[in-house]
Amino acid sequence: MHDLRFTIPAEELNREPFTRASPDFSKKSALMVTDRGYKCRITNIVPLSEHERLFQLRIVDPRERELFAFRPGQFLMLEVPGYGEAPISISSATSHREFIELCIRKAGHVTSALYEARPGAFVAVRGPFGTSFPMEAMQEHDVLLIAGGLGIAPLRAPLFWINDHRDHYRNVSFLYGAKEASQMLFAYQFEEWKTVSHIDLRTIVEKPDEKWTGRTGMITSLFEEITIDTKNTWAIVCGPPVMFKSVCTHLDKLGIPMNRMFVSLERRMHCGMGKCCRCMVGSTFTCLDGPVFDYWSVMNLKEAI
Amino acid sequence: MIYKVISKNEFRAFVDALVRANTSYGPRQVDTGRNGEPVYQFMPVSSASEIAFDYTVTTSSAKHLIMPFREELSKFRFRDGDWDQEVRYDAPPIVLFGLRPCDINAINILDEVMLNGPYPSPYYLARRKNTFIVGMDHLPLPDCFCRSMNRHTVSRGFNLFASDIGESYFLSINSSKAYNFLKEFETTEPTEEDDCKLIERRKLIKQSFKTNVEVTGLPMFLDLEFDSPIWEKWGNKCLNCGSCAMVCPTCYCYNVEERVATGLESSSRQRRLYSCNLIDFAEVSGGHNFRPKNGDRLKYRYYHHYRGFAINDNQQICVGCNRCGRTCLASINPKEVINDLRLEKESCMTCVSPSPQRS
Amino acid sequence: MNHLGFDTEKLKIGSFDFTCCEGCQLQLANHESTLPEFLALLDIRNFREISSERLDDSDIALVEGSITRSDEVERLKAIRAQAKVLVAYGTCACFGGMNAQKNKFPKEECIRTVYGDKQIDTMPEAHKISDFVQVDYSIPGCPVSKEEVERIVVSIATRSPIALPKYPVCVECKQRLNTCLFDLGEVCLGPISRAGCDAVCPSGKTVCLGCRGPADDINYASFTELVRDKGLSTEEMREKLAFYNGFTEYLNHEG
Ligand SMILES: Cc1cc2nc3c(=O)[nH]c(=O)nc-3n(C[C@H](O)[C@H](O)[C@H](O)COP(=O)(O)OP(=O)(O)OC[C@H]3O[C@@H](n4cnc5c(N)ncnc54)[C@H](O)[C@@H]3O)c2cc1C
Ligand code: SF4
Ligand code: SF4
Ligand code: SF4
Ligand code: SF4
Ligand code: SF4
Ligand code: FES
Repeated sequence: MHDLRFTIPAEELNREPFTRASPDFSKKSALMVTDRGYKCRITNIVPLSEHERLFQLRIVDPRERELFAFRPGQFLMLEVPGYGEAPISISSATSHREFIELCIRKAGHVTSALYEARPGAFVAVRGPFGTSFPMEAMQEHDVLLIAGGLGIAPLRAPLFWINDHRDHYRNVSFLYGAKEASQMLFAYQFEEWKTVSHIDLRTIVEKPDEKWTGRTGMITSLFEEITIDTKNTWAIVCGPPVMFKSVCTHLDKLGIPMNRMFVSLERRMHCGMGKCCRCMVGSTFTCLDGPVFDYWSVMNLKEAI
Repeated sequence: MIYKVISKNEFRAFVDALVRANTSYGPRQVDTGRNGEPVYQFMPVSSASEIAFDYTVTTSSAKHLIMPFREELSKFRFRDGDWDQEVRYDAPPIVLFGLRPCDINAINILDEVMLNGPYPSPYYLARRKNTFIVGMDHLPLPDCFCRSMNRHTVSRGFNLFASDIGESYFLSINSSKAYNFLKEFETTEPTEEDDCKLIERRKLIKQSFKTNVEVTGLPMFLDLEFDSPIWEKWGNKCLNCGSCAMVCPTCYCYNVEERVATGLESSSRQRRLYSCNLIDFAEVSGGHNFRPKNGDRLKYRYYHHYRGFAINDNQQICVGCNRCGRTCLASINPKEVINDLRLEKESCMTCVSPSPQRS
Repeated sequence: MNHLGFDTEKLKIGSFDFTCCEGCQLQLANHESTLPEFLALLDIRNFREISSERLDDSDIALVEGSITRSDEVERLKAIRAQAKVLVAYGTCACFGGMNAQKNKFPKEECIRTVYGDKQIDTMPEAHKISDFVQVDYSIPGCPVSKEEVERIVVSIATRSPIALPKYPVCVECKQRLNTCLFDLGEVCLGPISRAGCDAVCPSGKTVCLGCRGPADDINYASFTELVRDKGLSTEEMREKLAFYNGFTEYLNHEG
């Protein structure tokens, strides 16, 4: 009888995750990422509005915590064991290495499970994934941050970055619009951003209630209030597609080049690594080539808007 | 690559020994169709007698033997308010016998998608490395169009490839493992005559294609024709059933699902092959669907296959096996869709720049 | 599983059956390998007579069977009034099911064939329960798939939303490498029926009759066309569509 069995040695399989070299196969890969995430403890939960909460996470393993670094605009795959995974923008400061903050709206399976979780519960994160805002290129320029609703979640990281390097940036304005006053998130930080970070912060609400004393209308009407040095301004616009489209069209009319406006796209995601194809916009992966795109690219992407 | 010639009987003996010693899959007849035609699939085989050496084509590709329809990515074990995550990706070695050049090319494409790029997949790698592939050539069916995709020959991605040269097979040996296995069997060095026969065989195969799909410039056409009405026309036929993607050798996209064990002691994260034709492929929570219409989804499948994505250097990923066309109950097939697209484009070109009237 | 900080509670389930074969209820006790774990999640109580039925407000009412008599409507409404969550369990409850076969025949003829000359109180049609009460969740299937029931019970116990697949049976059928029954000359409802049963019927070489109802956003026009194109009988197709009563909106629309 011929013995024609073959196998590959067990030690070549079941490698630990995040090993830096792929097991042979003559590929020059940088990362072998498995499904394993960094285990995190939910250290704090701050209610922000009826449907949004801020979750503060701390990576349990000190070594992993030290390894974890990200750039403004990147996202995580947040795993709630037993429920699933969802892509979430990192909403904390890049300089803040002890905790990760995620601002999350209750939407479906994963996010609802998270809303049931108590502080002290364990979840996991994979990442960070995706592109980021070109914070360095924006130095020595004016920066216009524009958010609509939950769009403030990906915008907090660049905001904190600017705060950390305030001297490098010229005038910084933050325009924030929400449907209703009660949906305005992080209002408790507004004063600090204005006075300590010297950010020209302006808010507007579409459908005001009795208590609202500020401006009402669409976010684009805030442009009347500020002067924009179009030659020297970079913009970051985060919000639902209709919102960033109208804002960017407006900014384009004012004369800001489209490749100096940045938006963050949202698509269904199941891997974050360019494998599941769920996040494709035309032939572009939102998870690899995005979520941060300059507006010129977005305009040229098939099925982007 | 080392070349040998082996008699058909001896080859059979070799295959028999190989599939007896390993977990193996090969073409088997599983049914007889409505018109008496045999239906084949890649199925477990444990001896050469179970293999249909002269099979035509399998309904489904061999993809799922390397990328299973359902695969566990990791497992959570719960205990005392905490959990442990367990990741395993060991794959038992398997033999895939009887793959066609297009099938092997398809696996090469999957290699690129799953192993190139910034995040190679260890799950895929484990299986791929532990797969021993024996290919066989064949005369194309009337609707095969792998030649149009330039995937009718294959030079890598297999361990052993057998070309039929009459009384014997011309073997291309592409791995030391295969070479070692064959040492136990009687093979000869190819003679000049064998070489001639191989060339004749290749010529015959090349000339036997009856279906041609013109794909040059297709990526650009697809971009230009993004809003073409032909997508709605074909989309109106599409049943959103995903059958095409399930049988396709290169469709690889997936869904991830988490299943909690009934005893609540653990939970399994599983990857499940999906299809962009399925209704909720691009649906996000809250119900917004980025591709709400049948036509949007069908277009996307063609876009992925014939335009290609950056992850595999913008290569077209269709290999031209026409499994999708054969399986589609709504008679949607690449040949007709692409021809339609071209017609559309060409008629459009003429109306934009009318050529001078001939008298 | 209490890593999120809450303990799963035993679900108190009241099970009620109307006109049906009770096959679905049997499914609860099937699947022996996981039965002890499954039962550990549940506190099942059976009620036969409305008079003795008392529900706590935490109860889940599992309603099985279709509604064929007017007194059943009253009983159903009483159950709805007390249950926190009402689940339509099985094809009969979700769509009317097999019992709706009789909808196609005149009432008198039906009664005579089934009961002879006995006096009997029966409504002209068999109804799905959502014709009378609001249904929170539907678990279709004839019988229901035990795995799906387990998954849904686990979902409720772990406070997770419940979702059925939106795509049709063909996806699962193809994953099981079945030969398509259309290729064998039969009319199969797989392309328009909701998946989740792992394509049991086509895997056993019998056509799908759509016991789980239509998938999301089906292409009915293309389906009928394909039956015609294949030279198969549309009459047979209509019969199959009517079998479990899940496709009435399409059949009626057409007729
Ligand atoms: C780059 C990026 C950043 C995001 N940042 C935030 C954020 O900071 N805060 C926030 O509240 N939400 C954010 N979202 C949206 C968030 O991912 C969805 O609300 C979330 O996936 C819903 O998951 P679910 O399981 O609760 O919903 P379900 O409807 O049950 O979804 C099931 C699965 O579908 C996928 N999915 C559904 N909706 C989306 C979606 N909108 N985007 C991507 N995948 C989806 C996920 O894989 C999810 O697990 C972001 C999305 C993307 C793509
Ligand atoms: S193209 Fe055909 S096989 Fe593919 S989803 Fe549409 S109907 Fe199904
Ligand atoms: S064509 Fe569609 S089904 Fe095939 S891999 Fe691409 S996204 Fe998936
Ligand atoms: S798209 Fe169709 S023809 Fe092309 S590889 Fe896939 S199944 Fe074969
Ligand atoms: S047998 Fe039925 S379910 Fe299976 S592929 Fe064919 S039509 Fe679909
Ligand atoms: S195959 Fe069709 S009839 Fe059979 S169980 Fe599934 S949905 Fe019901
Ligand atoms: S999230 Fe999977 S490909 Fe982008």
